[in-house]
Amino acid sequence: MLRHLSRETRFLAKDRGAVFWLLLAFVLSVVAVSFGIAEVREQRETIATLIEEDAADRSNALEGQEDWGSAAYYAFHLTYAPPSDFAFAAMGQRDSSSWKHRVRMLALEGQIHEADTRNADFGLVGRFDFAFLAASVAPLLLILLLYDLRASERTMRRHDLLVATAGSSRSLWLPRALVRVTALALLLLMPLWVGSTIEGTAASLTLQASGIVIGSLLIWWLIVELVSRIDASPSILLTSLIGLWLAIAILVPAVSKAVIEAANPVPDGGEILLLQRETVNDAWDLPKEATMDPFVERHPEYADHSEIGEEGFEWKWYYAFQQVGDQVVEPLATQYREARLARDKQAGVAAWASPTSLVERAFEKLAGTDARSMIAYEDRVRDYHRELRAFYYPLMFPEEPFDEELLSGLPAFTPTS
Amino acid sequence: MTSPLEARSLSLVREGNTVLDGVSFTVAKGEIFALLGGNGAGKSSTLLTFLGFLDPSGGEVLVNGKSVGSDVAGARNSIAYLPEAASLYGHLTAYENLDYFLDLAGKSASKDQINVALDRVALPQEARTRRLQSYSKGMRQKTAIALALLRETPILLLDEPTSGLDPVAIDEFHDLVKALAEGGQTVLMVTHDVYGACQVADRVGLLRHGKLVGSFAAEKGQRIDTETVHAAFAGRPHFQTDAA
Repeated sequence: MLRHLSRETRFLAKDRGAVFWLLLAFVLSVVAVSFGIAEVREQRETIATLIEEDAADRSNALEGQEDWGSAAYYAFHLTYAPPSDFAFAAMGQRDSSSWKHRVRMLALEGQIHEADTRNADFGLVGRFDFAFLAASVAPLLLILLLYDLRASERTMRRHDLLVATAGSSRSLWLPRALVRVTALALLLLMPLWVGSTIEGTAASLTLQASGIVIGSLLIWWLIVELVSRIDASPSILLTSLIGLWLAIAILVPAVSKAVIEAANPVPDGGEILLLQRETVNDAWDLPKEATMDPFVERHPEYADHSEIGEEGFEWKWYYAFQQVGDQVVEPLATQYREARLARDKQAGVAAWASPTSLVERAFEKLAGTDARSMIAYEDRVRDYHRELRAFYYPLMFPEEPFDEELLSGLPAFTPTS
Repeated sequence: MTSPLEARSLSLVREGNTVLDGVSFTVAKGEIFALLGGNGAGKSSTLLTFLGFLDPSGGEVLVNGKSVGSDVAGARNSIAYLPEAASLYGHLTAYENLDYFLDLAGKSASKDQINVALDRVALPQEARTRRLQSYSKGMRQKTAIALALLRETPILLLDEPTSGLDPVAIDEFHDLVKALAEGGQTVLMVTHDVYGACQVADRVGLLRHGKLVGSFAAEKGQRIDTETVHAAFAGRPHFQTDAA
């Protein structure tokens, strides 16, 4: 076998068409990895700058405050989901979901859903990252390298001479195709390996990603092999394979996405934001009990401290109606979260009909940029906000005397990854 | 003694059409046997059954006494095949083509050995490092013949080997084939060139509509009579034949 592979490697090196497609694969891989690393570095720098500015800003905001309500009102708290050391390969949902929020002690759901994604266009068209290259472009390159292995030899009336000389088809076509698939895999993966080294990605993760790329190429090789066995001209084979690629890489994911989205309606983030703001704004004009009763229902431990005078302003009433704002939109926010998870789960099942979707999803999972990771970040923000409330409420509701020293005990946000 | 090539009542039906119908012949070691016939007579199909590309619908073909169907790879290893208008790789030089195809056949040859073979087929020295896409048809054919020489197989199958060659190149080719046969190689060639077949072959078989309808053998030291074969080929009555 080694002799066959060595022969076909020499042969490949002289095939200008094949060399062009292989070099293109390498260049695209370098570009995808470089863009990915640049993007991840920019996000890390943004987070580093925000961490620094957030601490200074909070320190300024807390300085000179004289009550718990003002301190809680003016202080912002940075939350963020740092990109993983493999995110450079698959930006995934980081382009369509927020990975940083500066939250206050106010109603939270509106703060989560008011944030725009950094570049909404990416959310629509996707980004040219390594996952896209491996999932969608690499199969096209593989088709271009393999589609006419047999057909072009038939067209050139060389097929019988080749097979008669080789003795068996196996010792000819298998090594010829294997060399091309191996070359494509190596040229795609080498930039990924360099990128992983630069980013300090765990070897096991890089190995898994490499396995996914190789597995995807093997599946496409099988598809090309089956189609190219048809005794047809190279142009008919190419047209058929491109059609198949369009169906598998574009049509199947698009149709399944449309079906899944129709089956799992997700409320608009804007709806959540609007409802919460209306609830909070309305609270100003409602009797105080309309706010305090549902608040106490959720926090019976503050029942003895829920008396609010009808005249004037009290911070605990203000924060209670912020919390009630969250309580009112809770069903909508839960529906939003659950529907996204359901969509993701069903998309995972549908992905088995499209190797392209399967590869993209696998990469996003490895990179921690899939829908579940982004939802986990939102959950982490909610947890952190609960910690803030848990810090302030026992001081604010029993009306403990303000002590600036205690603010040093404010919970700090720690990202999950 | 086992014949290197033998067809026993060979029949072939493709897509409902009878391509070969009970064809039988043997080719002895060192013999040149030419199968002559018009377009669609079944000549190339006969060669392809010996190479295992077509399975007989009836009868069998044997290479060195073994049925091709039972050992295709063994049969192919014994045969150097020169297809009509042999298309070697245009983007490779003669050296690179020969190196590739020899390796494919599981053989290797030094540059000197390759040069000897190319000298034998009279391929100009300056052409050997040029890509074949710049070659004339005759030069490409010579390179393909050099491949057959280098493979040193006991059997040579030639499909319209002189098609498109100029008269000088045809004569050179015939001399080469005769030399190979004298060296012990068995040659089965198919052609519609009556003159060429009579020039080079020890025996000529006439195929018509898939049937072997006549066979002509050369007298010792003589060539086969072209006129007789031409008359038979043209379908004129009362021609004399030997037993196939």
